[in-house]
Amino acid sequence: MGIINWARSRSPWIVHLCTGACNACDIEILAALTPRYDLERFGVLLKGSPRHADIFIVTGPITRQMKDRVVRIYEQIPDPKFVVAVGTCTMSGGAFRGCYNVYEGLDAVIPVDAYIAGCPVKPEAIIQAVATLVKKIRSG
Amino acid sequence: MSSFTIPIGPQHPALPEPILLKLEVEGEYIVGVDVDVSYMHRGIEKAMEYRNYIQNIYLAERICGICNVAHTVCYTLNVEKLYDKEIPPRAQYLRVIIEELNRIHSHLLWLGVAGHEIGFETLFMYVWRDRERVMDLIETITGNRVNTAYTTIGGVRRDITSDIEYKIRKTMDIVEERTKYYKSVAAAEPTILNRTKDVGILKTIDAINLCAVGPLLRASNVKNDVRADAPYAAHDEVPFNVITYPYCDVFSRILVRVDEIFECINMIRYCLDHLPKGPIRIKLPLKPPKGEAVTRVEAPRGELLHYVLSDGSEKPYRYKVRTPTLANIPSLCRMLTSTGDYIVKIADVPIAYASIDPCLCCTGRVQIVDIEKNKKWIWSWEELKEYSKKEWEKS
Amino acid sequence: MSDEELLNKLREAFKEKIIESSIPRKNIVNIVVPKESYKEVIKFIVENFNIPHIQTITGIDMGNEIQIIAHLGRSITINVKTSIDKNNPQIDTITDIIPGASFYEREVYDLLGVNFIGHPNLKRVILPEDWPKGVYPLRKEYKPEHPKPLRGV
Repeated sequence: MGIINWARSRSPWIVHLCTGACNACDIEILAALTPRYDLERFGVLLKGSPRHADIFIVTGPITRQMKDRVVRIYEQIPDPKFVVAVGTCTMSGGAFRGCYNVYEGLDAVIPVDAYIAGCPVKPEAIIQAVATLVKKIRSG
Repeated sequence: MSSFTIPIGPQHPALPEPILLKLEVEGEYIVGVDVDVSYMHRGIEKAMEYRNYIQNIYLAERICGICNVAHTVCYTLNVEKLYDKEIPPRAQYLRVIIEELNRIHSHLLWLGVAGHEIGFETLFMYVWRDRERVMDLIETITGNRVNTAYTTIGGVRRDITSDIEYKIRKTMDIVEERTKYYKSVAAAEPTILNRTKDVGILKTIDAINLCAVGPLLRASNVKNDVRADAPYAAHDEVPFNVITYPYCDVFSRILVRVDEIFECINMIRYCLDHLPKGPIRIKLPLKPPKGEAVTRVEAPRGELLHYVLSDGSEKPYRYKVRTPTLANIPSLCRMLTSTGDYIVKIADVPIAYASIDPCLCCTGRVQIVDIEKNKKWIWSWEELKEYSKKEWEKS
Repeated sequence: MSDEELLNKLREAFKEKIIESSIPRKNIVNIVVPKESYKEVIKFIVENFNIPHIQTITGIDMGNEIQIIAHLGRSITINVKTSIDKNNPQIDTITDIIPGASFYEREVYDLLGVNFIGHPNLKRVILPEDWPKGVYPLRKEYKPEHPKPLRGV
């Protein structure tokens, strides 16, 4: 497997960006880090700076004002990186489909590796997604 | 001393929601603030004109995921005013119960985030663990933790049985005991007192002139609450106290919110004791008569306003939403500006900003620009918080 | 003070300047005034009824004209309505009477294109920086659609 993959899979660090969401998914992501669901037992840490992170978690329909920031943060994360689109809004615009200030999903802006559906996403679904991603990293 | 501008821009680890705060700084002290809120704009008011009234309940809910119940209650009360029919009293009481549960969860959320901003991670973890009990209760009553769409036009969707009532009472007892513990911590813990007393001051006269709303206004000693001034749903029958504190700083806001949790618990108990029997919903036609209506509701963050203009069709002609955080932004700018003998330091920014309970979060990448020397350097929000922690330890 | 007493006092003070007035529901007072009297009516309400609080300012595109409603008050809501011409939308600002109205006026300016004469800081507040000038989303002729995607899927 290689020591780098082993290290990366044991402690995936995440950076989180909210691009105009209603906050429900963001609060559920934070709730996943608290003692009831405890994502930190996977070694996941929420970092502030994109340069320290492996996984880029995005919530919310991408608003026009935020699209440059999304691209910029994506470029700042060092390779290899994984992008996780959390919530229905990132997948297709969600409840805001058809609004004039909102893109049709995160696909329209950056390439995405994983999607988690839900409005909002339940913390159990986030744990399942992280566990699947970790398994994928370990298998190379 | 040169004055330079620091943009605190979108990307924050703890509380999401991008906002740009441009601070004009002279040395350590902030002399001017400009706010850019365009990151969150999704075009909801225009989208509401293209969907019918039932679809708009789900859209109104997603304006804010934390105070989603306040938005649905306000929306349904507003549209029901167009029909001018009597809503069953049991539905109004159930609306009050779910609204107060939402307020408890929002205030506990804020308490954890305030602890996180100060650097008190333990408080954050403890409070959010207790908040999970309230979320479980909301899931038992409505079927979902967040974005529940419990209220609908004409009443509420589900009834509560005696098992659920027993669970609510038990959870309220536990939450009350835990909140008493948190209040004793907040009022006595030196870390919190040092970081929050005399920080982020908003004088009473400023709060009134700049039209602040919610706990921000009540922490500046103004007795004003929409549930008492202009009662809606069952609030004219459910007694409660309007909490005010006179200190006008961040500490005052913590106390106001913690005391409001106790009031919410008492209101829920009163509603359960006096719950009227009867139907929970009446059928209303999809097309309301022509007319207009305006409704105000006390969301956890302040006064929330919805306005509707109907032309007789199944889609609204115009729908307007004014959220409490927009009303609090001029007060935020005043709070962060140094005037006369009141000095605001950069180190005060995280906690002062968090104390208005923004439902529009700022994720910060701080870029400091020194205009004279033409140098730029970037701090992340983490580094800004580390800097503010170190400054406080020095003093 | 009850809503009827308030309305009677307003009627006495402004007589023929009020085009229409009504009390549609308990504690809600509606008055319609011409554009020129908008500011003095609001000044009268703030000074004489001790109501320093503005709830919001709504702008509605009615086809040929834009209707501006100022919602004032804490326990009783007073809605002051006025209409302005859509081709030349201008009206006086009320930020010198109520400083808290600045963000509401900027929002109406941004989304409907109404110019508030005398506003200290009338600039974009809600639409993104790269939004084209002269396009006002809340006007009825604007049809919403998604922006173009940055990459094909």
